[in-house]
Amino acid sequence: MIKVALAGNPNSGKTTLFNGLTGSTAHVGNWPGVTVDKKEGVYKKCAEPISVVDLPGIYSLSPYTPEEVIARNYIIDEKPDCVINIVDATNLERNLYLSTQIMEIDVPFVIALNMMDAVEKKGDRIDAAKLEEKLGVPVVAISALKGAGLNVLMERVYKASKEKRVGKTVLESGALAHLIRDVKIALAGQGVENPLFHAVKLAEEDELEVKAHKDTVKMVEEFKDTFKDDTFGDDFEALIADARYKYISENFSSVVTKKDKEKFASTKSDKADRVLTHKIWGIPIFLLVLFAVFHLTFSEDFLYLGKIFGFASLEDLGVDTEAFGGQLLACFYDGAVFSPGVIINNLWNDIIVEYAFGWLIGLIEGSSMAGWAIGLINDGVIEGLKAVLSFLPPILTLFLFFSILEDSGYMARIAFILDRMFRKFGLSGRAFLPMIMGFGCSVPAMINTRTLADDKERAATIRVIPFFSCGAKLPILTAVAGAVVAYFSVGNADLITYGMYLLGIVTAILAVLFMRNTSLKGETPPFIMELPAYHAPQFKNLMIHLWDKTKHFVKKAFTIIVASTIVIWVLSHFSFTWAFLEDEQVNQSILAQLSMLVQPIFTPLGFGSQLGTYGWVFIVAAISGLIAKENVIATFATLAACLAAMAGSGVNLAGLDIEAEEGIDAVQAMISATGIGIPGLIAFIAFNMTTIPCFAAVGTAKAELMNNKSYKGTLIFWIVSSFLVASAVYTIGSWWWTAFIWAAAIALTTWCIISYNKRANEKLNDGKLK
Amino acid sequence: MPIVLAPVNTELRILRVIAEEKVKKHLENLGVVVNGTVTVLSSSGGAVVCKIKEGRVALDRDVSTKILVTPA
Repeated sequence: MIKVALAGNPNSGKTTLFNGLTGSTAHVGNWPGVTVDKKEGVYKKCAEPISVVDLPGIYSLSPYTPEEVIARNYIIDEKPDCVINIVDATNLERNLYLSTQIMEIDVPFVIALNMMDAVEKKGDRIDAAKLEEKLGVPVVAISALKGAGLNVLMERVYKASKEKRVGKTVLESGALAHLIRDVKIALAGQGVENPLFHAVKLAEEDELEVKAHKDTVKMVEEFKDTFKDDTFGDDFEALIADARYKYISENFSSVVTKKDKEKFASTKSDKADRVLTHKIWGIPIFLLVLFAVFHLTFSEDFLYLGKIFGFASLEDLGVDTEAFGGQLLACFYDGAVFSPGVIINNLWNDIIVEYAFGWLIGLIEGSSMAGWAIGLINDGVIEGLKAVLSFLPPILTLFLFFSILEDSGYMARIAFILDRMFRKFGLSGRAFLPMIMGFGCSVPAMINTRTLADDKERAATIRVIPFFSCGAKLPILTAVAGAVVAYFSVGNADLITYGMYLLGIVTAILAVLFMRNTSLKGETPPFIMELPAYHAPQFKNLMIHLWDKTKHFVKKAFTIIVASTIVIWVLSHFSFTWAFLEDEQVNQSILAQLSMLVQPIFTPLGFGSQLGTYGWVFIVAAISGLIAKENVIATFATLAACLAAMAGSGVNLAGLDIEAEEGIDAVQAMISATGIGIPGLIAFIAFNMTTIPCFAAVGTAKAELMNNKSYKGTLIFWIVSSFLVASAVYTIGSWWWTAFIWAAAIALTTWCIISYNKRANEKLNDGKLK
Repeated sequence: MPIVLAPVNTELRILRVIAEEKVKKHLENLGVVVNGTVTVLSSSGGAVVCKIKEGRVALDRDVSTKILVTPA
C-alpha cells in the first residue's frame, strides 16, 4: 500500500483534512514512547488504496519539541512514499517556512494549499499555479472544511509517489551555500541518506545531527572560525532562519495579490480578542464561560427555571416514577428541568444501563450456578462495569464542551490570560484547564494534560488533579457533612462541603509549589503560543474526537478496571478460609481482617485504633472507594446492616433509613457504632479527597505518565499527601494548638527547601565559574 | 526597546532576540527573526499579543522583555 504522511503547522486544518481523507477508517494510537496521538487511516478513492499518517502539528523540523522529533524521524526513517504538506494560505509565508525544510529531504512532496476560501473572502488572491512553478513541487488548492479539491490533491499525490524526488534547498545562494555543499558532499561520501537535509541541519548545529555526525561537524566548526556576519555573528541557526524567510518573501510573495494595500488591517478575530483577552474583562468572561460549561453538564436545575418558577415535583404531580413512562420523564424533569448533561446521564444510567444490566443480572440470578459464582458475576463484574460505565456521560459531555472551546480557538486565549497567575506556582497557564476539569472528572482532566509541553509540569499537574474534588466524591461530602450536622446538631452542611472543596484547592497549590521546588524542579517553560483565528467548531471533527475517547475509555473499563473490581469483590466476600460470605458477613472477610490489621496506621487520622472494635469500617469504606468513590457511602450502607445484625455492636437503626440514597443515615449508624468525633469525620472526608483516586483515574494516570517510575512516585505521593492532610485536619480539629506545630513544620520545610536550593544553585554557579 | 514597551498597532522591526537557544529557535520558527517585522496588537501587564507574518502570537512577560524592536 502507498504510504503518505500529512505534515503541517498547528491550526492549519490538518486534522480536518485527515478526517476528510480517511473518514471512518481512521484509528488513533500513540507514537512510541510519548503521549502524542498517532492517527492513521486509508484513502480509498484512488487507483490504489493510500494509507495516510497524520504527523503532529509542527512549525519546523528542528528537534526541540517531541512533536518535531516525531515528524522528522517519521519522514526520514519510515520513508513515506509522499509527504502532503498542508499550508494555511491565510498565513502563507510562515507556513512555507516548514515547506522549505521538507523540500530538503529526498522525498516526493505535494503542497495542499488550504483555506483558500478564507483568502478569497477577504478579497485577496493566491496564484497556486505560479507558486507551483516557483517551488517546483505540485501545489493543489483545497478547502479541508468543505472537502473541496481533495480528489485532485490525492490524484497528484498518487502520481508524485510514483516518482523519485531529490532534495532541494532555498539556501543555494546564501552565505552558507559553500559550507552546505561541502558538508553534503562529505555526507554523501559516507553513504548518508538525505545528505542535503542533514548537511543543512548540521550547519545549523542541530543537537541531533551533531551527535549523529561527530566527525563531519568539525567542517562546520572550522568554517565558523573564519566566518563573521554583521548582523548574526556566527549564529548559523539564526542566519539560516533569516535566509529562509528572506527567500520566501522575495520569491513567493508575488503569488499573493492583496485587496487592501494597507499594511495592517485588524480582523474580526482581533476585534473579538480585544474583549476576550482584555486586561480586566478577560478573566470574568472566562469564569462565566466556565460556569456555563459546568451548569450545562451537571446542573439539576437548568437556567434555575425550577427555582424561579417553583415547578412541582413529579411526585406532587401524581406521576408514577416506578412505571417506565414515569422513569423516562424523570430523566428530563423533576421539579426542575435538568441540564442537557444531566438528561444524557439519566437516560444512559437510569434507562439504558439499568435495563440492559438489570436484564443481565436477572438472567444470571435465575441460572443454576453456585451462589458465589452468581455473586462474583453480578456484584463483582457487572456492578463494577456499571460503576465504570456510569462515568461515560459526564466524561463525554465535559469532553464535548472542552473540545468546542479548543476547536473554536478560545482555549488558547484562556491559557494566555491565566498564565500570569499560574506562573507564580511554577506552572504555565495551560495547566489550568485540566485542573478545573478535575471538578467534573479526573479522567478527562488527566488526558487533557497532553497540551502541556513540559514533562515535569505535566506530572505535577496530573498528581494534583484528584484534589479538585470530582463529581463522584461529592456524595461522600454531602453524606458525611449531613451526618455531622444531623448527629451532633452543629454547623451547616453546605459550609462544610464548600470548606472541603477549598481544602482540596489549597492542598493542590501547596503540593504543586512543593513538587516544583523539590522532586519536579524545572523552569516553567516560557509562554509562546499561537492564537489561531476564531472559527466555528466542526461537528464532524467533534464527533470523531468523542468517538475516539469513548473507545479508549471503554477498552480500559473492560480490562484494568474490571480486574481491580473483581479483586476487591473477592477480598470482601471471602474469609481467610476461602468460605463465601454474604454481604452481611463482611466483617469476617479478608478485606475486613486486613483493615483491622492496618487500623493503627490510621490512628493519627482520627479513624484508627481509637475507634475500637468497629473502627475498621471506615478503612474498608475508603478501600472500596478505590473502585469508584461512590462506593464509599454504598459500603457504609452495607456495613450498617451488617453491624446491626451483630449482637452487641450497639447500633440502633430505629428511626434511621440506611438504604436512603444520600447515605446520611448510614453514616449516622457508623458514628453511633464507633463513637467517632467531628474531627475524625472531617479527616475521613479529607483523606478520601486526597488519597489515591478511583481505578479509572489511576489507570489514566498510568497511561498518561508513560513512565513507570513517575507512576509509582505518583501513587506514593497520593498516599503521603492524604495521610498528611487528614492527620493535620484531625489533630488541629481535636487540639486547636497543634495548628502552631503544623505551621512550624511547614515553615521549617519551606526554609529547608529554600536554603537547600540556594546552596545547590551556588554550587552550580561555582562550577560554571571554574 | 523591548517589545513590552512598544506602541500598539505600529509596525516594528526586530533588532535582537536575547533569549536562550531553545526559546530563540522556537521564536524563529514562528517568524520572529532579526530584521523581520512585528506589530503589537495588545499589551497588558507585560504580556503581549502580536502579529507576526499573518499569525497572532501571545508572549509572556519574560519572553517579551527579550525581544528588542524599533519602529520600522
